Amino acid sequence: MAGKLASLWATLKKPSAKYSLLGLLMTGFISGILFWGGFNTGMEATNTMDFCISCHEMHDNVYQEYKKTIHYSNRTGVRAMCSDCHVPKDWTHKMIRKIQASREVWGKLTGTIDTKEKFEAKRLTLAEREWARMKAADSRECRNCHSFEGMDTEKQKARGAKMHKIAQEEKQTCIDCHKGIAHNKPKGMKEDEDEDL
Amino acid sequence: MKKSTLSMMLLGSLLAVGTQAAFAAPDWGKVPKRDINVFHPAVSPMEWVGKKSDHSGTAGLKKGETCIGCHEEKGTLNFDMKRLAGKDMEPKGAPKAMMYPVAVQAAYDASNLYIRLTFKAPGGGADQGDKDNEVKATVMFPDAQVQLANQAGCWASCHNDARTMPGADDKKTKYTKNGAFELMQWKSAKGAKVANGTVTTERKMEGGSLGATAEGAKSGDTYTVTFARKNPGEGKTVPFGIAIHADHATGRFHHVSLGYTLGVGADGDVKAVKQ
Repeated sequence: MAGKLASLWATLKKPSAKYSLLGLLMTGFISGILFWGGFNTGMEATNTMDFCISCHEMHDNVYQEYKKTIHYSNRTGVRAMCSDCHVPKDWTHKMIRKIQASREVWGKLTGTIDTKEKFEAKRLTLAEREWARMKAADSRECRNCHSFEGMDTEKQKARGAKMHKIAQEEKQTCIDCHKGIAHNKPKGMKEDEDEDL
Repeated sequence: MKKSTLSMMLLGSLLAVGTQAAFAAPDWGKVPKRDINVFHPAVSPMEWVGKKSDHSGTAGLKKGETCIGCHEEKGTLNFDMKRLAGKDMEPKGAPKAMMYPVAVQAAYDASNLYIRLTFKAPGGGADQGDKDNEVKATVMFPDAQVQLANQAGCWASCHNDARTMPGADDKKTKYTKNGAFELMQWKSAKGAKVANGTVTTERKMEGGSLGATAEGAKSGDTYTVTFARKNPGEGKTVPFGIAIHADHATGRFHHVSLGYTLGVGADGDVKAVKQ
């Protein structure tokens, strides 16, 4: 076995006598593009709404809730779909999130949320996990579209304007307040100790 | 004989004072109206208001913001009425009219503070538990020890374990953990007594110190209720809240105002006019 590996390594190291350097470079370059393009296309395919709701766990629960919210349908026609909120845009964080998402494949295979009852029983755990991710990232995915700098609080309702002022003063992040805006709020949410009156 | 004469004189004086309180009311045509919207609050007691996961404005309240500071704008209340009327917050069913305006006027003289409420009480209520009274109009005044007295009006008296709340003890009235409310209530039933009550560890419909009298009448579809209570003192601003039980409603099935302030020769959301 070791002999075979050593032989393969020796072949790989050996200069080509048959192909030109340009040919080899071009082959490598094109193969690289094909591989990279294929990889990214595959990854982007998992970012589409169709992919996200292709399993009934998402389609029958969170998708139906999301369809009633402003992130799905609004005056301007700008729609934020699943991946806009739940998958980072930049490559590094996106890759980390995609690897983490492999856990969801395991959940699908073992049927952890394959009935309405199971989904509801797990809703709080799943939501808390996602809220923690969003908070740790300073609501990065929200901020892909929203920013304090771009807000005209004069055009907001009084309650929003006042709360956004407090949020900026206290360096809060979007998800600190905006929980349950695209899906139903889970029952039994825990309160931070200093939040109650 | 002398005793009887004295008693008659005393009775006469009391009647005169009483009549004064009832009839020395101001010329309301000259007193400005302030529209205050009352709304069906569903199940949103103090515990709900103070829980951030239910009410994101909790952070604002902690900073000293008032309810109306966030929720009253452009002559209306900016609540999500659909949320309030939905099954999660109103399991029993919401009234047809979630909100309506009450025109509030106030005036004062040396002895009394007069408050006049004018409103069209809507039908279509979800609870008609009070067979005797089509309408009840209530004004409550929290003292300074009441939690959020200057911010949240009557809310400190509203709790999730009070009667008519889902699953609550039917005998438990509204209450406050700190301080006390004075309460005055007019009922539409003929000859019904005006309540002069308090809310402390429980609500009592008598024993209050406001010395309130009230007159109410319905003209067409409009109710006008005029209260006279002791003047709290010129230069004072007192917090208050209004509740209207329309369409024979009882318990929590009232339409309530947020917390407002009334200035007696002082600043306030409603300014009482000196007579």
